[in-house]
Amino acid sequence: MSNIKFILDGKEVTAEPNKTIVNIATENGIHIPTLCHNEKVSRTTSCFVCVVKDAKTGRFLPSCSAYPVPGQEIDASSDEVKDMRKTALELLLSEHAGDCEAPCTMACPAHAMVEEYVRAGRDGDFLECLKILKKRIPLPMSIGRVCPRFCEKDCRKNVSDKPVAINDFKRLAADMYYDEYMEELPELNGKKVGIVGAGPAGISTAYFLRLNGIESVIYDQMPKPGGMLRYGIPEYRLPKAILDKELAHFPKMGGIKFECNRKLGENLSMEELKKEFDAVAVTIGCWQPSSMRCEGEELAVQGIDFLQEIALNDWSGENPGKVIVVGGGNTAMDCLRTSVRLGSDDVNCFYRRTENEMPAEEIEIEEAKEEGVNFNFLTAPVKLRKENGKLILTCRKMKLGEPDASGRRRPVPIENSEYDTEADMVIAAIGQKTDAPGGVRTNRWGGIDVSEETYHLEDHVFAAGDCVTGAATVVEGVAGGNKIADGIVDFFSHGLVKPCPEFTFNVSRGHWRSLEKDDLVYLKEDVSEEPRAEFKFIPPEERKTTFKEVAPTISECEIIEEGKRCIECSCTAKGDCKLKEFSEEYLAVPDAIKGERLKNGYDNRHPLIIQDRMKCIKCGICVKVCKEVVNQNLLSLKQRGFSTKVETSFGKVLPLSCKDCGACIEECPVGALDWKIKE
Amino acid sequence: MTINDKIKKIKTGMASCGIAAGAEDVLTLLKEHTGDILIDEVGCFGHCYCEPVVEIETTDGESIIYSHVAPNAKSIANILELGEDGRFKINPARKAKELLKVTRLAGVIDPTSYEEYVENGGYAGLTKALTMGREELIDEVKKSGLRGRGGGGFPTGMKWGFLAAKKAEQKILICNADEGDPGAFMDRSLMESVPHQVLEGMLIAAYATGSTRIFIYCRAEYPLAIKHLNIAIEQIKEHKLNIIDGREIDIFVKEGAGAFVCGEETALIHSLEGQRGTPRFRPPFPTDSGWKGYPTMINNVETFGNVPYLIADGAESYAGIGSESSKGTKLFALAGDLDSPGLVEVPMGITLREIVFDIGGADPETTKAVQTGGPSGGCIPVELFDTPVDYDSLKALGAIMGSGGMIIIGKNRCMVETARYFLDFTHRESCGKCTFCRVGTKRMFETLERITAGEGVPEDLDFLAEMGPKVIKGSLCGLGQTAPNPVLATLRYYRHEYENHVNNKQCEELACEKLVDIELDQDNCVKCKLCIKNCPVDAVSDDFVIDNNKCTRCNTCIEVCPKNTIFRVKKGEGFYSE
Repeated sequence: MSNIKFILDGKEVTAEPNKTIVNIATENGIHIPTLCHNEKVSRTTSCFVCVVKDAKTGRFLPSCSAYPVPGQEIDASSDEVKDMRKTALELLLSEHAGDCEAPCTMACPAHAMVEEYVRAGRDGDFLECLKILKKRIPLPMSIGRVCPRFCEKDCRKNVSDKPVAINDFKRLAADMYYDEYMEELPELNGKKVGIVGAGPAGISTAYFLRLNGIESVIYDQMPKPGGMLRYGIPEYRLPKAILDKELAHFPKMGGIKFECNRKLGENLSMEELKKEFDAVAVTIGCWQPSSMRCEGEELAVQGIDFLQEIALNDWSGENPGKVIVVGGGNTAMDCLRTSVRLGSDDVNCFYRRTENEMPAEEIEIEEAKEEGVNFNFLTAPVKLRKENGKLILTCRKMKLGEPDASGRRRPVPIENSEYDTEADMVIAAIGQKTDAPGGVRTNRWGGIDVSEETYHLEDHVFAAGDCVTGAATVVEGVAGGNKIADGIVDFFSHGLVKPCPEFTFNVSRGHWRSLEKDDLVYLKEDVSEEPRAEFKFIPPEERKTTFKEVAPTISECEIIEEGKRCIECSCTAKGDCKLKEFSEEYLAVPDAIKGERLKNGYDNRHPLIIQDRMKCIKCGICVKVCKEVVNQNLLSLKQRGFSTKVETSFGKVLPLSCKDCGACIEECPVGALDWKIKE
Repeated sequence: MTINDKIKKIKTGMASCGIAAGAEDVLTLLKEHTGDILIDEVGCFGHCYCEPVVEIETTDGESIIYSHVAPNAKSIANILELGEDGRFKINPARKAKELLKVTRLAGVIDPTSYEEYVENGGYAGLTKALTMGREELIDEVKKSGLRGRGGGGFPTGMKWGFLAAKKAEQKILICNADEGDPGAFMDRSLMESVPHQVLEGMLIAAYATGSTRIFIYCRAEYPLAIKHLNIAIEQIKEHKLNIIDGREIDIFVKEGAGAFVCGEETALIHSLEGQRGTPRFRPPFPTDSGWKGYPTMINNVETFGNVPYLIADGAESYAGIGSESSKGTKLFALAGDLDSPGLVEVPMGITLREIVFDIGGADPETTKAVQTGGPSGGCIPVELFDTPVDYDSLKALGAIMGSGGMIIIGKNRCMVETARYFLDFTHRESCGKCTFCRVGTKRMFETLERITAGEGVPEDLDFLAEMGPKVIKGSLCGLGQTAPNPVLATLRYYRHEYENHVNNKQCEELACEKLVDIELDQDNCVKCKLCIKNCPVDAVSDDFVIDNNKCTRCNTCIEVCPKNTIFRVKKGEGFYSE
């Protein structure tokens, strides 16, 4: 037969008659995605991701199976064709139940590779654990102590048990190896960035820039670097000796320099920074207290000022007497517990809603109670005055009304419920705002107004951390620093600012609250059901007298055991999934089409192989590989319609000999058939 | 029992429709009382609604038909006395409009009798065909304009020509008897009633195309058809009709295992080969590479049923029947909201109005639409009933001819629920191969479930309208390519019903169970307690109040109420109920 001439995307091509359209397109530099097509086996023609359009007839053809006809006009790249492919992918995604990344990793604002470092810890390799951690968490000693543990809140173990004690892996690994571990660093490339603010976001920016060979100078207004880590978080939560040790690492990396006692607008100017550096990062945090909005509030001490003063005094000070702290966040807890440690035996928290609505971490509230703090809920300050050297705080009782924008029930005043209470010190811990430098664009909450995707502010200036988001956690600051660093790296290499695509695509089986224990997929049969490793706290009576850390680091043996509790939720094929690859290419969205997902179960009975039918997209390649290539015919498609599934005959276990073959695993386009071993 | 001496022969309809109505008992009683009068067990004469049917041939050559024959002595006595009770009178409009060609002998002859078939002109077509040259024969079929009756409407002569042109060691002929559309029974009726006629068509095709082997792929749910086919095959072998050009043609009836998709030709071939019944991409077409790689041709039962008389009467005569693009007659299985469901044979080009109202006897006042082409067809509203029934006109309306199922939909039916019902069938019957069919139809079905439950949102209608055409474009075989039709057609003609469900959470027809309550009119209730006694979930209280939270909307109370005081109302609009 002679060669065939036809039109492909408007260009005439000549092709050998035995070639399908997808093959010819590839030869002509046109990429057509396909999931069910595999050169090793006969054609299935099932996924329809490879569709092209016959422009003359208007028909859509699966290009993996269709041969061109002379004179045909094939459209392989128009919007209409791409839309069909995207829909095919979204339909597949709607039945594909898996987790690209584990929920813990997704929940972490910095997307630390949680499952991976927990696994390294479980295997007793804490140096490796630290190495993985430090890919995304430059401050593991601090975060290992103060993180509110977003990861643990989303841990699937919650379905039936307490979550894995993830954060304690960080703390232990960092305590063990922080001094000796140094990242592999590239040579400095000559670019230099000026960073304003040596808190978590600023330090992280410098760190991630350094990993990309970019030098930086971090300026800070305070005498020592660390920002809120040093001047906001009390010693008993984060000992400053540990912080010093942690921060000492950065200058050692070479190319990161701290310059303290430099304040924007005083002895540091934006204009000069912009002139001196190739890029500027603003990470100045939130250091301006919010108003209590009550008469006489100037008589109150601001929470962050109070903590800062004690910090500057090396965590010592006079007994403040009777203390009232107004507010229900973590700063309020810090002020309360610091007051206890300064010797006060009458420490009171006034909060206008109830305990359920308190923004502070549950554990902080719990520990404060243990240390003897009194809580007065549904109480709001009205007026503060001074009489005879004593402060008199007039309060009003509140009740809960309808939920507000934050979803929390709004406090409503009860009429004629005012009463006076006496105190030696009233601390206002209502919240903090950004003190934005003059001339910088701000949003309606007073934060610096940057592009959400790139953290780009203007020209070559970027901003992140609390000064953009409002007061947040250390790990969120780290995430912000990482984003600016990525933005700056892109800015240097492409001369333009582009969004960071990582973690934007993720398939999830769903939040653990929507799942039953039977919905969980266990990679291994021997996941530990032992209770969670817990802190051995110093007794509260002792805690009240000292700024010593509240609990020591959990031991190595316990953490290794704790690691065995991990279910290992992430996909075995997360680095190698065609469905993900094409979905990212075609901007297919996992939940664009919603509907039932099959509970086809999974089979982990083979010692080395897991078959997760819920991920299967029914391309049939495994069935054909086993039959046509391996000559075994162990797998077959069963049932019809949406219930179609791949299974062995009579649901038998795959034979042990499969461990020497794995041909089906190699060809599975998703992670439905895979080795149990994760890298 | 007195037996009228004019009785020459008694015929009892013993096709599935007859048996289902109790014909076996009637037959037993007849046999007990008729002595040596000949009783013939015949097939179905199309009027399924009036089974059991007994026909008396008199010595005067008259034919008296009794319908709805009860299996008791009184009714048998009435028949044997040639009484006036229960005599069947054909609707004159039906008689005038029907044209019995393919079903000429159905219900007339004993399907298991080779002799009766031959006496009535059977095998004349084969005999004539064997005197013709192969090319001449195929030309004859081409000239006749016969198109495939399975639904696709591909010109039969052309298909025969493709296979005839192939040179191969073996050529395979397959009769597609996997009639899967719910409510369609044309093929079953033909195989049960005139199996020889279908086989004669196959033998003519085998001769014309040089086929060496015949498979009849018949669904296992048709045991009587399979039995009659096998009897007929034995008789054919006895009379050596299967030896053509000195070569014996093997004929084998393969029982299908019940998958709807196996009516699609490539899936059917896979199934016949012992593989999973899934379609494959064409080309290669079966005539190039079919069963085990041999050139293979698949025709539908009814197509084969047309061939004997086409050849015997000649193409010109055949082409004289029907419309410009669609020739001959077509069988339709009428079902749904009409008084006389059954099988009808009409010339192509007749209007829907004539079929549904004149022949089917449906009430124009209460008819809303007709669904043609089974679950993969589309509905045509009553306003468009002047459309001529042929392949192309129906397609233009978003419906299809399909194999010939016609479901009449009354005004009391909800079109959203109707679409949901059909998609429930097709999405389950998808083979699970193509993404658009496997997941797309499932998601469309789920959307319809939500809408009929009053949980739909306006975006759901956009989703259906967008996904439907994509499923059609992105599926390999006819199942996926037609499954969205009922949804798209109802959306096209009855969008207001969808909108009412979505926007007002109401079903005007009171058909969607989750959108209705059951109401008991206490003012007119006679307190007979039948509803209380019959309610399976104790939803009717002792003081005759219906608890709609308990009620499963099974309608039992409505059916048993002697005073019609129980009825459906829109959800929440009941006056007496809870």
